[in-house]
Amino acid sequence: MAPHREVRSSAAHRTMNYTEFSALLEQGDLVLVDVLPEASYAAGHIPGALSLPLARLAELAPRLLPEKDRPIVVYCGGPD
Amino acid sequence: MRHFVGGLEEWLARGRALAAPREIASSQPDRPRSWARAIIDWLDSISTRRLFSLWLVMILVCGIGFWLLDAIDGHGLRTAQGPVPRDALGLLTSIYFSFVTATSVGYGDVVPVGLTRLLAILEAVTAMLLFGAVVAKFVSGRQERLVAEIHRLTFEERIERVQANLHAVISDLSLLIEACSDATRDHARLASRVESVVRLFLGELRTTHALLYRPELDLDEQRLEAILVELSTALEALSDLLACTAAPKRRSPQLEANLRSIATLADEICGTCVPRDHPPALKVWMDRIQALANRVA
Repeated sequence: MAPHREVRSSAAHRTMNYTEFSALLEQGDLVLVDVLPEASYAAGHIPGALSLPLARLAELAPRLLPEKDRPIVVYCGGPD
Repeated sequence: MRHFVGGLEEWLARGRALAAPREIASSQPDRPRSWARAIIDWLDSISTRRLFSLWLVMILVCGIGFWLLDAIDGHGLRTAQGPVPRDALGLLTSIYFSFVTATSVGYGDVVPVGLTRLLAILEAVTAMLLFGAVVAKFVSGRQERLVAEIHRLTFEERIERVQANLHAVISDLSLLIEACSDATRDHARLASRVESVVRLFLGELRTTHALLYRPELDLDEQRLEAILVELSTALEALSDLLACTAAPKRRSPQLEANLRSIATLADEICGTCVPRDHPPALKVWMDRIQALANRVA
């Protein structure tokens, strides 16, 4: 993630490691969000992810993420 | 909301595959590929030399086939002197016949009888198609090399042009900043100069952005670094200039739109955003460009 950005969200914000992530993916009971720019998403993304670039997060989120019951998992390029 | 910290980096490091919208649209696991399509794809993939060897091998195999069929009475090859013998000489004759059939010469000194007729027909058709493919590949091979060369030259020209234009943009911006700070100058006249330099900058930024997002292209690392450094410098100069000139409300809509495009494109250039993994030095410059994007719009 670019160090200069902050993701403002009112929901609880917890991190997840690969094992948990992989397990949750198997179950399929989640909403996976890719916050990288559109061009990066087009070049390749984790299968099943939705594209919500950080720059347009505020405007797209209400439209694409209506359900609050399923867990939402975001990812970006890497730990940095 | 939870955050998978590892991100794409860890996903790939663990050897997992990515999906890309293009792939999803075209792959339809329910529809089997038609065999015609499969044959064409296979022909495309092997080299001309291999295809030619395949043609030769097929002829030899058919030759042996004819000789083996000779073992069945009434289904071998015949010459004017009678059926072809089943010894080594017969094998040679069979191979000879195979070549004569495959190249569609058909002297008629050796003729097939019975089952060998079927094999001869199959061989004639297949050999003709195969050989046609060999010739076609051979001819198009040269064309493909020419096209690749043209692509390479055009690409290099493009990179050089990007560098040259960025030079011009930076020097223009410096001049404009000087003129802007000088209160005695007429600021209205500056506006059109600002618009044109912004337009030029946007063009080159767009080209660079497109190049970065095509991982199959082989960009010279040094050149790329030079371009990134200049992009970064130009962005800084642009934001300084914007700080000095007219307030956003008084800018023309075209200029506003261009500035927004610049900001969006620059925002998408960061070390971990682009598909290709570049050396850390370049990533630092890319991140810097992304950071500067904020200051432009």
